[in-house]
Amino acid sequence: MARTHEGRKITRGDFLKLSGAGLTGAALLGVAGCGGGGTISGGGGAGGSTLIFGRGADSVTLDPVHATDGESFRVTRQVFDTLLDFAPESFDLQPSLATEIPEAEDGGLTYTLKLRKGVKFHDGTDFNAEAVKFNFDRWRDTKNQYHTGGGGQSADFAYYSSQFGGFDDDSIIESVEAVDDTTVRFRLKEPQGPFLRNLTISPFAIASPTAIKKDVGGFWQNPVGSGPYTFVSWERNSQVRVEAFKDWWGSKLPASEGFGGPKTKTVIIRSIPENTARVAALTGNQLNAADGLVPDDVPSIEEQEGFKLEFRPPNTIGYLAMNNQVEPFDDPKVRQAFNYAIDISKIVETVLRGTGEVASNYMPSLIPYFNNNIEPYPYDPEKAQQLLEDAGVTNLDTELWYMPIPRPYMPDAKSIAQVMQQDLKKVGVNAKLVTYEWGTYIEKTGEGAHPMCLLGWTGDNGDPDNFLNVLLNSASATPTDAYNVAYYKNPEVDDLLLKGQTTIVEGERQKAYYRAQEIMHQDAPWVPIAYVKPPIGLQTAVQGFEPNPTSSEAFNTVSIAGGK
Amino acid sequence: MAEAQAQQDAVATPASVQTRSRWEDFSRTFLSNRLALFGLVVLSIFILMAIFAPLVAPYDPLSQDLEGKFAGPSLAHPFGQDELGRDILSRVIYGARISLTAGLAAVAIATTAGTLIGMVAGFFGGYTDSVLMRLMDVILAFPSILLAIVIVSVLGPSLANAMLAIGIVFIPQIARVVRSSVISVRERDYIEAERALGAGNAQIIFSGVLPNSTAPLIVQATLTLATAILDIAALSFLGLGARAPTPEWGAMLTDAFESGFGVFVEGQHALIFPGVAIALAVLSVNFVGDGLRDALDPRRRG
Repeated sequence: MARTHEGRKITRGDFLKLSGAGLTGAALLGVAGCGGGGTISGGGGAGGSTLIFGRGADSVTLDPVHATDGESFRVTRQVFDTLLDFAPESFDLQPSLATEIPEAEDGGLTYTLKLRKGVKFHDGTDFNAEAVKFNFDRWRDTKNQYHTGGGGQSADFAYYSSQFGGFDDDSIIESVEAVDDTTVRFRLKEPQGPFLRNLTISPFAIASPTAIKKDVGGFWQNPVGSGPYTFVSWERNSQVRVEAFKDWWGSKLPASEGFGGPKTKTVIIRSIPENTARVAALTGNQLNAADGLVPDDVPSIEEQEGFKLEFRPPNTIGYLAMNNQVEPFDDPKVRQAFNYAIDISKIVETVLRGTGEVASNYMPSLIPYFNNNIEPYPYDPEKAQQLLEDAGVTNLDTELWYMPIPRPYMPDAKSIAQVMQQDLKKVGVNAKLVTYEWGTYIEKTGEGAHPMCLLGWTGDNGDPDNFLNVLLNSASATPTDAYNVAYYKNPEVDDLLLKGQTTIVEGERQKAYYRAQEIMHQDAPWVPIAYVKPPIGLQTAVQGFEPNPTSSEAFNTVSIAGGK
Repeated sequence: MAEAQAQQDAVATPASVQTRSRWEDFSRTFLSNRLALFGLVVLSIFILMAIFAPLVAPYDPLSQDLEGKFAGPSLAHPFGQDELGRDILSRVIYGARISLTAGLAAVAIATTAGTLIGMVAGFFGGYTDSVLMRLMDVILAFPSILLAIVIVSVLGPSLANAMLAIGIVFIPQIARVVRSSVISVRERDYIEAERALGAGNAQIIFSGVLPNSTAPLIVQATLTLATAILDIAALSFLGLGARAPTPEWGAMLTDAFESGFGVFVEGQHALIFPGVAIALAVLSVNFVGDGLRDALDPRRRG
């Protein structure tokens, strides 16, 4: 009895001592490991003709029209082409499967597109006007026998209804007509300002009609397009492999417009959800490029030999939305006071570490009709205090909600919230920090349960309509699933946004959007924070990577200088 | 054999005479245990730090200095600065306050409920015992941290709920220890004597059984405290306990960790110091618990 007891005691004591020693050892090892990471030089894990791109999440579906997430588009962008495209690193339209940018006819009710000749899908099917018509009919017409598919998590053509007003009779596109083999004509029910920009976005890529007819249900995991790479395999939650399509129509076109190539034989797009592990895989040369870096990764990658950074042009806005329908944020003075009270440039400089630009407006500066005359609110705590006094608000206790996970438009919401909390304290506002699990966060902010919340938006089609109308129109301030989480309602702004959406006259659009931005600046429903430029970490051997504001790059221009 | 010996001792010596020699015995055994002594010293330092945090800490644990992001240890900031330039030493000191109170609160919950359940189950036996103990077995069947995560997820993440969850999770361990010592005590002659004198159940439990079952309870509660401190740090690390900007050790780790890969390159100190604080606190409480057990165990005395 006593011996058993004795034995147990020694075991436990030893265990404790060991655990102490083990802890110290682990800490030392960890530190040593970090130091050693940088010494391996380029080339190692990834060969010259294979590009391995690391990202934070797997794709949901590879049938582009059924996807809504960036990681699905990252793959479909390689396999498919769209009718029009954006020029590299900008939101300027350029031809793609269509050979020129069409002029609006009948006051914006008709567009006639000339199509490229001799284009083939990966399965040998000819690309022509009938193929375009087939795709649009499939998307628009709910009775079409191919209006289905997309897999288990399909978004059911969500992008079509959000960009083109709905399906069947609600669709702004009334009909698509194959005039001849290389001419296709769109007839619209009413003019749509962003129509041509909508044709560039990834969900409206043209798929092979033969493949869809053959197996519409399985198309999402066996996609066939006309793009620079053909689909090879998709291992769930691990990687997608695509291989160069030798007969790609864009091979002979100028690289300056984003064509040419594909310069690598194989592209592997690998999912590594844990950010730290992904960056470690890059610096350990298991990846040629890694997406989804956070600001603090920037200096550490810059300092590593053999690695470089590229930044996507900012197509995002991160903001603090004040709930305009609850006290005291129903008073514009209070909202302006908050704009003066928070030192945004300090946040951008120290938390975002220069991966973003201070936001002066309610959409990023890259978007057309951005009003350059508007200056951001300066940091002025005294003025803020004055405004709060004028509004009769003293010793305000409120809540500041922050996102639990990093998003492209706000990589470190927790830090930003903490800095804001300190700034607000200086003007007598006590903001409690609150957060929820991501799904709950979206649900609750979409119901207006918050006094203030951090959120943001990444643009789709490079049009002001896609930012201002989605985020600040009173129609988006719905009781549930609201996009307008500030619950900002101004009839004058609504009118201007409608005008901007339905006119195709450049001057009028500009006037409407300029004025809307001025009013928003005055009404101050948000504290705009920053236009984040998402960083991508690359080996220096990786060349020709063209960061795209839509955040899915075509990899045909990318080459890898021969291994070490 | 040893058991019989102890039983004889208990019967032979009246309680009042025994007190002093028992205390002497206890302190001699405890203080001769070097690990226990070390644990006691470290734990005392943590307790003093927690009580006098505002006096000891060089800075306000919440005040930011964004220019000093991840600045390494220096004379002004012996433990360096964290991702928002806050003084890590001050945060570790205030963190002691949070970790120890949260740990103690969890143990208080577990001990109160566990003692009650163990006492009732052990004293009454039969069906009561079976039902209560099978219930405890059900709780024990889940890995403790997993069950705590479930409870916090249901109640909503906050430090108070984390304490409650950890408290609930540790009830069975306390209940089992109390039950077994109650069973060994309840048949003793002095309990029989009390019963013969006409004492009711409640009186017997509180004046006879409970005081004679405390030694194992104290040991178990101390060891539970160590695990509770660790688990609360773990819950906070997972974002289910203390929330930003609270300077809780586990939360400090996750805050630094989430700020990106850069923390490994330029801000290791932001991970090391809170981590070391957790390890030291847990180890010292464990050492003290071990020392207590050895010192309170009648069979270990000469």
